[in-house]
Amino acid sequence: MKKLKKFSIFIAALAMLFSFACAAIPSPTNNFYVNDFAGVLSNNTKQYIMSQSVELQKQTKAQIVVSTVSSLDGQDLDSYSINMARSYNIGDANENNGVLILLAPNERKVKIEVGYGLEGAINDAKAGRILDNAGVPYFKDNKWDEGIIEVYKSVLAETYKEYGLDVPEDINPLYTDNVNSENPLRKKGIIEIIIFILIVIFFIISIRFNSHRGGGGFYGGGGFGGGSSGGFGGGGGFGRGGGFSGGGGGFGGGGGGRSF
Amino acid sequence: MNEQRGGMSTGKIALIAVIAIVLLVVFGAFGTYNSLVKNKEEVNGQWANIETQLQRRSDLIPNLVNTVKGYAAHETEVMTAVSDARAKLAGAGTVAEKAEANNELNSALSRLLLVVENYPNLKADTQYTALMDELAGTENRIAVARKDYNGAVQTYNQKTKTFPTVIFANMFGFKEAEYFQAQDGAETAPTVNFGV
Repeated sequence: MKKLKKFSIFIAALAMLFSFACAAIPSPTNNFYVNDFAGVLSNNTKQYIMSQSVELQKQTKAQIVVSTVSSLDGQDLDSYSINMARSYNIGDANENNGVLILLAPNERKVKIEVGYGLEGAINDAKAGRILDNAGVPYFKDNKWDEGIIEVYKSVLAETYKEYGLDVPEDINPLYTDNVNSENPLRKKGIIEIIIFILIVIFFIISIRFNSHRGGGGFYGGGGFGGGSSGGFGGGGGFGRGGGFSGGGGGFGGGGGGRSF
Repeated sequence: MNEQRGGMSTGKIALIAVIAIVLLVVFGAFGTYNSLVKNKEEVNGQWANIETQLQRRSDLIPNLVNTVKGYAAHETEVMTAVSDARAKLAGAGTVAEKAEANNELNSALSRLLLVVENYPNLKADTQYTALMDELAGTENRIAVARKDYNGAVQTYNQKTKTFPTVIFANMFGFKEAEYFQAQDGAETAPTVNFGV
């Protein structure tokens, strides 16, 4: 009996959670990529984000959305942001490459919500570093515009890198990936240099050895696999009639948040 | 003659009706069975998500403990508690056991975070910050996976308990699925304050 009561309370709580989730999130604006519900961003910032996100979507299908809200409606930051990211369907349905940057200036919280497909490019630790380096210093002084722009640029640059594309020069993000010493590509580079040196040494030794013996060919050291991270051709963005919308990307709660 | 034909046609109609009903029941059973399987698979899939994230969390903890040890070697009690809770999670089998072990790990980690408050150098360590970000992210993923899982369980259980699906559910042995219970007040993961 007691168990039954506990169970029914749980169900009620669950139902409440669901209804909360549906009721509280405002629908995206027609611009989709910028939803300044809190009214803290300048027009320049909005236009910049808009044009950059449209361009990124064209090249990679990835979608980066910036939202500011005047209230989290009593929800915690993590729940609110995943509910918003999911209800907006940010990112491509197959690649799940959506990112939501959510700022709640009144609650003094910010979050980068990362879709499944970009969890490798922007892991939780990196999301935290981006916020620490590029966002929080501005947000602490209520400089919402500057903070959002810097966080946005950093996320944008990391996304371009993930797709093996050059980061457009004018982006110039405040956060760069210099903390991350265990960058696998960098590591690979060192290993390749070592292998190359070994091959050269082997090559020289074998020439000497062979010429000393005065005959015979030598077997060259085999080629080594190029470490190019497979960038794929940016498939053309398919034009949707009218405004912009989400592509149906999935989110599982990756990313990082900060209070400031 | 006419009467005979009439009689035959009533018989035929009755036969057709019976066949129709049988077919309806059989096809109904197929459809119900398939939708039950689909719901059950949804539950299993969501459960796998939870397990993945629990595993990820388990994998992060030794690194965290080692990093903390570097700054606060003598805080053995709380670190033993974390390691024990982690071991318990690894040994847990059923949904309820895992939920309980996970809650235990939650409280052990919150205690660790309290201890860490006394070590400003540790809090400023980039390695520590990165680990805590990963841990917080994983906890959030667990929370999301739990919500998704419980949603799937709710759909599935409702189906197995309501008429007429309940008949087929019992017939084919679809058992009730277990909710992943959160500790009271553990709805949100322990928040990490970096004191920025």
